Amino acid sequence: MTTSLISLDNIVKDYRSLRALDGVNLEIEPGITGLLGPNGAGKSTLIKVLLGLVRVNGGSGTVLGHQLGREGRAIRNKVGYMPEDDCYIPGMTGVEVVQFSACLAGLPPVEALRRSHEMLDFCGMQQERYRTIETFSTGMRQKAKFAAAIVHDPEFLIFDEPTAGLDPEERESLLNRIVILCRQAGKSVIISTHILPDVQAICDHVLILSNGQIRLSQSLEVLNRPSAPTIAVKTFGDHEAFVRTLANEGTTTTIENEILSINGDSPNLVDQIWRVANSTNTTIQSIQPAQNSLEEIFMQTVQEASHAPS
Amino acid sequence: MPLHNLGYRSWDGHRTPQWSRWWIIANSGITLAFKSRWVRRLMFFAWLPVLYWGIAFFILEQTLSRGFQGQLPTTQILEENVPELELAQQQAINAIAADRIRDQFAFVPSADKLAEAIESGDDVQIRNKVWNWLLMTFFRYPQATLILFLVGFIAPGLISRDVRSRAFLLYFSRPIGRLEYIIGKLLIPGMYIVAVTTLPALVLYLFAIGLSPNLNVIYATWDIPFRIVLASVFLVVPTAALALMFSSLTHESRFASFAWFAVWALGHGAWFAILISQAIREETAPFDPIVLESQIVQGWSVLSLYNNLGDIQSWVFGFSDLKDAWPGIVALITITVVSLCILFHRVSAPIRV
Repeated sequence: MTTSLISLDNIVKDYRSLRALDGVNLEIEPGITGLLGPNGAGKSTLIKVLLGLVRVNGGSGTVLGHQLGREGRAIRNKVGYMPEDDCYIPGMTGVEVVQFSACLAGLPPVEALRRSHEMLDFCGMQQERYRTIETFSTGMRQKAKFAAAIVHDPEFLIFDEPTAGLDPEERESLLNRIVILCRQAGKSVIISTHILPDVQAICDHVLILSNGQIRLSQSLEVLNRPSAPTIAVKTFGDHEAFVRTLANEGTTTTIENEILSINGDSPNLVDQIWRVANSTNTTIQSIQPAQNSLEEIFMQTVQEASHAPS
Repeated sequence: MPLHNLGYRSWDGHRTPQWSRWWIIANSGITLAFKSRWVRRLMFFAWLPVLYWGIAFFILEQTLSRGFQGQLPTTQILEENVPELELAQQQAINAIAADRIRDQFAFVPSADKLAEAIESGDDVQIRNKVWNWLLMTFFRYPQATLILFLVGFIAPGLISRDVRSRAFLLYFSRPIGRLEYIIGKLLIPGMYIVAVTTLPALVLYLFAIGLSPNLNVIYATWDIPFRIVLASVFLVVPTAALALMFSSLTHESRFASFAWFAVWALGHGAWFAILISQAIREETAPFDPIVLESQIVQGWSVLSLYNNLGDIQSWVFGFSDLKDAWPGIVALITITVVSLCILFHRVSAPIRV
């Protein structure tokens, strides 16, 4: 049995006449959770609510066992937040910004400096840490923000668009760091992002927020699983005879981007595929269980939300 | 490459107490401001007047310890034979000194009160009064002007830059509240003001003690350090609150700078215009006591922050009564309260949206 790190019950947040969060009910368990939603869905507001930065107009909840609204400081003591926007103090060097963040979270100054260097090493930042932060590139700023978010060793981390503006190599490195934090250091993470492959790559759980409401909350494993057993097969060369023979044996095949999605009732569907491939002289390049596309799920959920009565 | 990359390690040390977090903000702001070459130059200039006032204390102590007896060779003989002469001579010398102060320092506020005190006092009272007067002028003239520039240089960017660079997220996503943020930010200009007023004033006091003939002087002047601290509080709190309030109202620190200097210049300028018009009406010079003491000029004096601070300093150092200082006190308290209210409201604004 897992205990919820975050539990929200019917949270409502209004900005004057605009309802940003409309009865959000949420349970977040340990692991990496992807927070998805179109622009203006209420993701940033939800994060501010979780950090205890804004007062809610209705509902209640707990974050790491602390009451929302009443124990904001206690929550922020245990949470590390990496904002989407650049946030820095002009004139400070990279290492000073991280040290300052650590001191604000309560680390003694010397210890904060030592740990800042350690975290900047972990983030792969080299000697540029001694430059003033205004001179940093986007990638360097992301690293500095990442280091500042984790420097006080929080239990729970919230990353808002952590890979925005990063090149593919840096993006992969950053995602790896998040995985290390979760799998090795035991941290729980929320990633708010628009980049679905990032969620697909590292998340255990997905939340889709739209029009201020949670439209979907499900583990990625369940989401990826097709409703019926389906195998994705990629073949070399012509596959016409292969598909025809499989159809004759009672399977249905759909082809998209040269990948055959074979759906059948047989409990030995994989054996059946290998046998048919052998009999039709078809060379199989890859064979794996098919997954639902997160992009399709996201689009479908958001479209349903936009048609739903408010 | 780092020499020894340790990867991610947990940290389970003791955290600093919550109440001390404002000092982290203040300390970082003070250090950051001191990186500016202009701030360092201003600090240097702000300490230069200490030399002049130090010389003044030196001359004063030499005069008081030797007295004027040296100038009159027959004094000692006369004193031995006519005991009353010592007192009479002292009174005569005091009267001469008082006249000289009235003549030569007529333009300095409270000079006449200093002269009166010298005329009627003994050595102990005179030393106390003159030290107070020197320190009051030190606060009022060189330091008040330098503070205007120093605060105008440091404070306008303190909140406006945080808003522009979204650094407020860096603060408020940590266990920091509005109160700690505001106290930390107020302390930045506050500490600089203390560094150029309270600290040199206390140094001057200790210097003067060092020059004194004996340690009984401490007994005669024990109140002065308290007066220095009180004068500093009246100087630091309203000025820092006002400057920070301007900083919180805009994203652009130059607008906050402009507002800061404009409030000082326009307020004092308006009062000065009233002073000139009153002088024209009275057909005399602007700083004539008739003009300065007229109801209109005194009534509008609260327009000028500089005058308000000056009036309060005169009261703190014992050169005026509370009834003369209360309009200034009320004005500064109002400025402080309004500034802090706006500051609290503005500081939470970026988070609320």
